[in-house]
Amino acid sequence: MRNSVNSLRAAGLLAALTASALTPLAAQTTANSELDSLREQIRLLDQKLRVLERNYELKEEAAAASAKKQPKLTVGDGRIEVVSSDGANSLRLRGLVQADARFYLDDANAAQDGFVLRRARLIFEGKFSDIFQYVVQPEFGGTVQLLDANINAVIAPEFQVRVGRFKTPIGLEQLQSDSVAFFNERSVATNLTPNRDVGVSLHGDVFTNRLNYEVGAFNGQLDGGNSPTTNLNAEGDFTAVARLFATPFVNDKDSALKGLGFGIAAGTGNYKTGAPGIGYRTDGQQTFFAYRGTTVTNGTATTISPQAYFYTGPLGVLAEYVSSSSELANGANAREITNTALNLSVGYVLTGEDSGYGGVRPKTNFSPSAGTWGAFEIVGRYARVDIDDAVFAGGATSLAAPATNASAVTSYGLGLNWYLSRTVRANFDLFQSKFDFSGARPATGALSDDETAFITRVQVSF
Amino acid sequence: MKLTSLLALLAAIAIAGSSLAKDVQLLNVSYDPTRELYVEYNAAFAKYWKARTGDTVTVKQSHGGSGKQARAVIDGLPADVVTLALAADIDAIATNAKIITPDWQQQFAHNSSPYTSTIVFLVRKGNPMAIKDWNDLVKPGVAVITPNPKTSGGARWNFLAAWAYARRQTGTDEGARKFVGALFKNVPVLDTGARGSTTTFVQRGIGDVLLAWENEAFLALKEFGSDQFEIVVPSISILAEPPVAVVTKVAKKKGTTDVAKAYLEYLYSDEGQDIAGRNFYRPTSEKALAKYAGVFPKLDLVTIDKDFGGWRKAQAEFFSDNGVFDQIYLKN
Repeated sequence: MRNSVNSLRAAGLLAALTASALTPLAAQTTANSELDSLREQIRLLDQKLRVLERNYELKEEAAAASAKKQPKLTVGDGRIEVVSSDGANSLRLRGLVQADARFYLDDANAAQDGFVLRRARLIFEGKFSDIFQYVVQPEFGGTVQLLDANINAVIAPEFQVRVGRFKTPIGLEQLQSDSVAFFNERSVATNLTPNRDVGVSLHGDVFTNRLNYEVGAFNGQLDGGNSPTTNLNAEGDFTAVARLFATPFVNDKDSALKGLGFGIAAGTGNYKTGAPGIGYRTDGQQTFFAYRGTTVTNGTATTISPQAYFYTGPLGVLAEYVSSSSELANGANAREITNTALNLSVGYVLTGEDSGYGGVRPKTNFSPSAGTWGAFEIVGRYARVDIDDAVFAGGATSLAAPATNASAVTSYGLGLNWYLSRTVRANFDLFQSKFDFSGARPATGALSDDETAFITRVQVSF
Repeated sequence: MKLTSLLALLAAIAIAGSSLAKDVQLLNVSYDPTRELYVEYNAAFAKYWKARTGDTVTVKQSHGGSGKQARAVIDGLPADVVTLALAADIDAIATNAKIITPDWQQQFAHNSSPYTSTIVFLVRKGNPMAIKDWNDLVKPGVAVITPNPKTSGGARWNFLAAWAYARRQTGTDEGARKFVGALFKNVPVLDTGARGSTTTFVQRGIGDVLLAWENEAFLALKEFGSDQFEIVVPSISILAEPPVAVVTKVAKKKGTTDVAKAYLEYLYSDEGQDIAGRNFYRPTSEKALAKYAGVFPKLDLVTIDKDFGGWRKAQAEFFSDNGVFDQIYLKN
């Protein structure tokens, strides 16, 4: 009995000991299980958070990729442009409006005072497929006409082909955009260079932009004029034009001659039975020379123009000489004549901005509230045109009437340019044109007195 | 100037133009994981081409989801050659843009696939979810990372490999549909391309298993270390044949037809095949395949032609708008 009691006691004690030993083990197991559960919950939450972050990241990537595919529209001071997402196609809208006020201080032209909308152009330009550049430029000021319409295939910078209607590559000042020229009117020398013509040209920049070349074939256009857009080359002959222009130091940043450019251009063609040009105009836009209405072209015409510019800091100089020879006839009076011209223009930017063939970019815009005035530039010019004496020989059948035409004009210009912003410019130019005559000065008309003109302009160009 | 003079001028222009093309530039539009392969291959080809012709060739690369890349070429991306993940994407360019000849797959050996690959699993070290085969991917709580089959060629191979497994297991297409539907329920993120999915899994730490190109899985091991990840080879997968083609109209327009053709032909050369093997693509030449035999595991591979009737059929049935994938994914 005692033994059994002892056994029971022993069993009870063992049970108590076992129970006391197992209680913390069970609690520990429960705790570990809760910890594992918490760990798993944290892992799942961490995964959820990562998934949310990644999906957000992917959405942002998709939005960015989608944005890249959208055409880019740029609207700024001097720039309105739409470019395709890959940059290969673009359309840039440009414009030019020039509102002039002309005052003639001489007795002969006082009646010509007035306001003139000199130019009003909308210019569409851009490119397709990264290669084909285009320009379409209608003129709404004065005679409404299509000035430029051409395609330029840029196969390589060194090898480009332009077809359509564009400026004949001869006159240095003629080739410069009139919106950035020193004066509001080009010099009288530009009368002797052809303007726009229809044709094809091969051109490009070689030797790392140190030399620009252009050779082309055109319908042919004599002094100063724009050719019509239709085929008007006499007898199926074309006018050949070539121009070489070197800028040997253009890549030498520290060179004092970085802004030096010089070259020569020439054109020659056969002209028959056409009118020999539209007449020559003064800086004040009065006609000082024109052939008789019965005078026609009668053979080869050749234009040669050595030319140069130099820009360094605020100083700019542009010079060119033009020789224009042509075979003309008025009935039986057939002659080969050579007219010549030269132009020397100088500009200096008083506010320190750099001068350049591409114009002046003011450091500040005109803003009364900000106390800024833009940029100011003073400009001066000497230019002269000499008409061949043979033009006036032949009496009643002379090529031009000596009594109503000047045989030479010497022109002086002085001006102030105010760049109110990149797009807005105001010009104040004073011109004087002194005329020579092969005979007596006309008693009446525009040439009865030397021309003194004060021409102001407000221009918007973008 | 007489007409003869003008013609002489134009002839001079033509001669001057033809004498310029000494520097050649190609654009290779490829799929996502081939970046490293073509960086190495392009350098080798440029060296070879220089020695052969004296010309300097520069190959620009563009990468993304294969379907997305095909769409970009259709939309005008001027690729001289395409090296995409699957034939359907090149077919899409040939059909929609008509800038690749319809018989493009006959232009080069092995149906214009100079290398092949397959689909394997990449799991985290220790394989904590014990993933061994496709059926493990549909278990609750397993997060599977795969790109979007609508934009990624690799994802389409993933989809079809899973489908082939399930069809073999269940014996029916309906069974396969249910299985793949369950698998995509476990996909928390759909990247647009295979490289994006690798980023999601490897760098962002999301998911338990990545359905990956074999070469991409090996590359992940190489770059991030075998102490981070391990490759699981499933019981069955699919023979992926990434094809190549000259974009004939673009190359003709750019005057790069010869060099573009040579560029793709050189992929079959000893050097090209060796580079493919080094970058974990299965070479097609016996010689290179033997050299890299130890790298690639042997497994049961179904093929697109035998098991799915070719890419045209598979593309239309599974991945076109309102196709099987759309039905499955939109339902999910």
